[in-house]
Amino acid sequence: MASGSSPSNFNNGPSSPDDSFSSPIANTSSPAHRRRRGRRQASTPSSAAGTPPPNPSRFANSASTPTPARSTRRGRRPGPAKSTSPAVAATPSSTDDFSMPSSEGGEDMEEATPTFVWGTNISVQDVKNAIQMFIKHFRDPQELSNDIYGEGKYTRLIHRVLEVEGEWIDVDAHDVFNYDSDLYNKMMRYPLEVLAIFDIVLMDIVSVINPLFDKHVQVRIHNLKSSTSMRNLNPSDIEKMVSLKGMVIRCSSIIPEIREAVFRCIVCGYHSEPVVVDRGRISEPTSCLKQECLAKNSMALVHNRCRFADKQIVRLQETPDEIPEGGTPHTVSLLMHDKLVDAGKPGDRVEVTGIYRAMSVRVGPTQRTVKSLFKTYIDCLHIKKTDKSRMTAEDPMEVDKGSQRVDDDVQFDEDKVEELKELSKQPDIYERLTRSLAPNIWELDDVKKGLLCQLFGGNALKLLSGASFRGDINILLVGDPGTSKSQLLQYIHKLAPRGIYTSGRGSSAVGLTAYVAKDPETGETVLESGALVLSDRGICCIDEFDKMSDNARSMLHEVMEQQTVSIAKAGIIASLNARTSVLACANPSGSRYNPRLSVIDNIHLPPTLLSRFDLIYLILDKADEQTDRRLAKHIVSLHFEDTEIAEHDVIDLATLTAYVSYARKNIHPKLSDEAAEELTRGYVEMRKRGNFPGSSKKVITATPRQIESLIRLSEALARIRFSETVEMRDVTEAFRLLEVAMQQSATDHSTGTIDMDLITTGVSASERMRRESVLSATRNVIMDKLQLGGPSMRLLELLDEMKKQNSGSEIHLHDLRTAVATLASEGFVVLHGDSVKRM
Amino acid sequence: MGGPPYDCLANPLGAVRLAFEKAIGSELETPSTHPSAFNGKDWGALELFRHFLFQESGLSQVPILNPKTLRWVQPNSLVRYRGMIQDMLGNEFYAGAYKDGNLWRTNKFMDVSQYPMGSSPDMCIWERRLLYCVPVPGQNSWTEPSSEMEPNWSSQTREKRRRMDDEDNDPMDLVPDDEIKSSPITKKMREDGLPSPSQSRDTKTTSSSSITSTFQSVDKDNLPCLVKIYDSPESELKLNDVFEFIGVLTFDSELAVEKDDNDELSNSFYDDALVHLPPNKVPRLHCLIHRKLAVQDFLPGSPIIQPKPHLVKETREALFRHLTAVLGNDEVAAHFVLLHLLSKVHARVDDVAVGKLSLNLTGLNKESVSVFGTRLSDTFKNLLPFTNCMPLTLEYLNIASLAPKKDYQANRLVPGVLQLPEGSHLMVDETRLESGSLNSTGIENTKLLKNLIEFQKVEYDFQYYKVEMATDVQLLIFSEGKSNIVPADVIVPFQPSCLESTEMPVAEALEGWRWYLATVRSLPHSIGSEIQKVVEDDLVAARQMDRSLGSRDFSRWLTMARLISSSFGETSLSKEHWEMAKEMERLRRERLK
Repeated sequence: MASGSSPSNFNNGPSSPDDSFSSPIANTSSPAHRRRRGRRQASTPSSAAGTPPPNPSRFANSASTPTPARSTRRGRRPGPAKSTSPAVAATPSSTDDFSMPSSEGGEDMEEATPTFVWGTNISVQDVKNAIQMFIKHFRDPQELSNDIYGEGKYTRLIHRVLEVEGEWIDVDAHDVFNYDSDLYNKMMRYPLEVLAIFDIVLMDIVSVINPLFDKHVQVRIHNLKSSTSMRNLNPSDIEKMVSLKGMVIRCSSIIPEIREAVFRCIVCGYHSEPVVVDRGRISEPTSCLKQECLAKNSMALVHNRCRFADKQIVRLQETPDEIPEGGTPHTVSLLMHDKLVDAGKPGDRVEVTGIYRAMSVRVGPTQRTVKSLFKTYIDCLHIKKTDKSRMTAEDPMEVDKGSQRVDDDVQFDEDKVEELKELSKQPDIYERLTRSLAPNIWELDDVKKGLLCQLFGGNALKLLSGASFRGDINILLVGDPGTSKSQLLQYIHKLAPRGIYTSGRGSSAVGLTAYVAKDPETGETVLESGALVLSDRGICCIDEFDKMSDNARSMLHEVMEQQTVSIAKAGIIASLNARTSVLACANPSGSRYNPRLSVIDNIHLPPTLLSRFDLIYLILDKADEQTDRRLAKHIVSLHFEDTEIAEHDVIDLATLTAYVSYARKNIHPKLSDEAAEELTRGYVEMRKRGNFPGSSKKVITATPRQIESLIRLSEALARIRFSETVEMRDVTEAFRLLEVAMQQSATDHSTGTIDMDLITTGVSASERMRRESVLSATRNVIMDKLQLGGPSMRLLELLDEMKKQNSGSEIHLHDLRTAVATLASEGFVVLHGDSVKRM
Repeated sequence: MGGPPYDCLANPLGAVRLAFEKAIGSELETPSTHPSAFNGKDWGALELFRHFLFQESGLSQVPILNPKTLRWVQPNSLVRYRGMIQDMLGNEFYAGAYKDGNLWRTNKFMDVSQYPMGSSPDMCIWERRLLYCVPVPGQNSWTEPSSEMEPNWSSQTREKRRRMDDEDNDPMDLVPDDEIKSSPITKKMREDGLPSPSQSRDTKTTSSSSITSTFQSVDKDNLPCLVKIYDSPESELKLNDVFEFIGVLTFDSELAVEKDDNDELSNSFYDDALVHLPPNKVPRLHCLIHRKLAVQDFLPGSPIIQPKPHLVKETREALFRHLTAVLGNDEVAAHFVLLHLLSKVHARVDDVAVGKLSLNLTGLNKESVSVFGTRLSDTFKNLLPFTNCMPLTLEYLNIASLAPKKDYQANRLVPGVLQLPEGSHLMVDETRLESGSLNSTGIENTKLLKNLIEFQKVEYDFQYYKVEMATDVQLLIFSEGKSNIVPADVIVPFQPSCLESTEMPVAEALEGWRWYLATVRSLPHSIGSEIQKVVEDDLVAARQMDRSLGSRDFSRWLTMARLISSSFGETSLSKEHWEMAKEMERLRRERLK
């Protein structure tokens, strides 16, 4: 993630032109630089000559450790060689008080032979050697190369960094631990010291490889063995290396921090030597240093010859899952330097590795009194984005790049993955998951199985030709009020990796899809995403689907099949991804479901939309005493038992969520040959069922949409088992699920067979035939009874007449009216109110 | 323990110090206990205060911090503060113990070190929690203790304290000698100016304090407080809990003068709270002891009467008569209102909040609400500790911020109208709602109200994500027809038969009723297996008769049965009360027809 670094390159900063100009000259003998570079020089005198021009060490500005920590760290103040904490740091640094290592420290090191980290028995030399060994000899155990004489992982990395002129090397703390756990522990406990040595070692190596390399290469530690939660940070963590997760909520603007100041005499034009920042202050020369001039108060700062570094303060807040009940999220400040500036934007979920520090607060800027308070912050070493939502949204082309996505997405630690895999191996995992889904809604097992498939989803496919097939499964629940449809929806909404819950009544077309808005401040037109776009790669739950306006519903056509939302408005033409599964529920148009009518008649939904749902479930309230008793028992125990009813063998919500998201990310099942064969066979059989022997009518029992649904369902079923191949049993279960759903919704009640025409056109084949027969009968009656241009006849009379003639079938006035209207449109009769006249 | 050698009341810090010195034995050159061993934990000081407050009943002598007492309360003295935890400002690290020369000193329970502590390298860093507390929203006047302490108490103890300080060579005396009548705190407050009266009038009409900025004391009765908590587990204090904090009031004039340094760096590093909560507007309280307040704690004199059956029944009868009179002799409505007042969420299973009983009185219009609504509201104000009103107009829905929202600029949780402590009562008047369109705020607000009444949960807006907080608010809705914005558990068409107003009940009666409501509400409840069978059979039979009955209806019946039973002081459901619940439901249904 570090690669997503700041747009403002330090070296291109305001000071850079001057920098390159002045450094070769000013550098070599400047005491200031010697001092600043001191620790490197002193401890590695041999490499001093090869040391690149000064580049601010990341700790240079913050090196003066706040005094508060003194008691905790007094046991390990670095040796003189380190000079991290000036011996005279009597006045604690305050807010803006980041000082350079004091000159005393710098001079000390020349004389003293540094051996130990102050107050401890940790030898600087030992640490140095350990780091050198690590860099040279660490090999990634995962690389199965037999070439033991080849370069180690980090030596290679250094080479690569040198090639691209990078400025840092990411060091995986796990690697350090695996190679030398002692070094790891030292690094955790004394990060300031150990990292400084690490940098020195790194620079030594760099200068050996390429003596002309003139950039400072830093080490960035990441991926610590353990990470803390923000809530648990406590005084004992001060000055330790910590790693924590959180969400960026606020970034300050970039603060240019002065590192080196150059003054010029306004009288004689003499330029001073660069003055380095000492404890947050620049001591301005009071008089010109030139012997001939010595004018008082004449020195002025030359801005463009000063050196600045980027700094940014970022606030990190706990993510919702870490907040205990009845608490508010905690926040912590991060201090970012140089390349890390702007690495995270507000709203990003990040994992940060850094050093926890504290500094005392001065009462006022002018007062020396120190409050007894400390402000804490984390000196950031490494930042990693853990949430990929932004990234995936930016890449519209990725559809089937599962393997690459894995490591960017929410990380599962190994134990958790093991646990999930263990779970997936259980033979009854499918049933267990079904049971765990909304455990307090009973029955409806098949509906739950369907919902489970929706949660896991099939594989999206994008052909080279550009045609794409969605992997999302859409489900519609239709049923009587009070059958806990909404609860199911709520539950899925909570469980889904990303989900939006809306109610059809309250959603407009733009609210669902996207709309163009004018930014009130800048006047720019911006795209605002609606519910469907927001639930990209998730589930969009729409309650009261039938109450939705037609306009809003028509927007769904595109979403549900093409999985995009197109916008053409206010000069913005865009196509946004909305790869979302739709879970909708609808009430019958009469408050109760009328079993005598078809689904289409019960819910007033256009058949075109209805056919886009893979599964349509009817949830009917059947008068069943057994169910009623269970309900009664449940409610009574709910009210009178303090403890929850013991749920047997149910997977808790957190595990379930983890299970689903792990499967969605990591499991991408493929159809096995026999499964594919079974699919074809089953589909053909389904189609065949429509052809009744000896019957001329053709009933469509399955359409190509169904086979797509079947593929998706079987893929989802394989995913539930964490299986990479779709097997025979998945296909069989998919057929069963589809059939159960179809049986309920697409059954033609007059014949009792499945008829896809019901869904696709809203009229069943038998109904269509009946209408035909009524029409011809009407035509015959009218031919019989009415003369051309003769007197008119009332519809009721016509009905009686028809009933007389066709005593076998029942004809309603409603049917007759439809038939007459059809005849009228043919120009056969004229219909005036209730009277029919032949023409 | 003989008479303590220090005054816990006027010089609590002295007591803390003494205990500290005793604990580490710092009279000696080499302390017997290193202070770091405490690790911020208590060293015996709290025991002293507990003894003083509860054994020696010193609690009643401790002044309660409110705008009135603030005039004369001295800094660094012991005070108590009652309020709701409105926001948590995180942890704060402070130099807990440090070495001043050869002596160990402690900074616990104070803001600024009393001794110079610059050069000492020996220092222990400890942490404490910051809580931002406000007076409970909608707190009624009867909950405030009536007995005001005399200001002259302070001047006399001040003398005492000064003497002690002199002995200690204590340089912390911040109070100038010429200030006797008013303490520096109030002076500062007056200088900074309380908001103009017009502002407070505004907030009264809308009852929404969040529209105006919350960072200043909105009106005279509103005194927030920054409480610093030591030695207590995090789980003990939760957001929106009502607590009494007993601790040291500090006021530091030096603290007031920061903020002139406005560059971004220091602002983001300074605790934002300090910038936005200047100590001259928000007093600091270093909490020694805290206790959660239940309704009973607000009852003056808190008569600890065991709920005797006949007493409970008598009180119930009287209260019921009173409610009936208030409701224009509508007995059915009065019954439901009584049950409604007793309801509380006693369990949560998944999304279901069990035990709530929100009530919707229908058949009211603007005129009748002005009569009965006001009357009822006055009655509740006298009976319940925290009551709130919400006039549900279109404009209000579109403007008001109901949910608390995090302001990241200020790093504060801006309170919303629905940030209410457990056991609050909220009256929603829907009769003034007219047709019109809602903006996005309005839609958000209606969603919040719906979630509140259905799940007893409020979503707090943390901008990047929302956090659901469980609440327990009794909701009473007035509307013409059934309210769909705030769909209540029970809908009762209101049918008053007379309009004349009732006489005010006597104070003793009111006290009895308050006690009754508080006590009965907290009664445990159970069901015998026999009656359980009866109930189940009844439910099954009812459902066989009427398929439209669902789990919500059954839940309501059972809640009603439980509450009826409780209202008679019973702890287990009897057949009689179950029949009563069914009868009430029948009467209600009849009205709905």
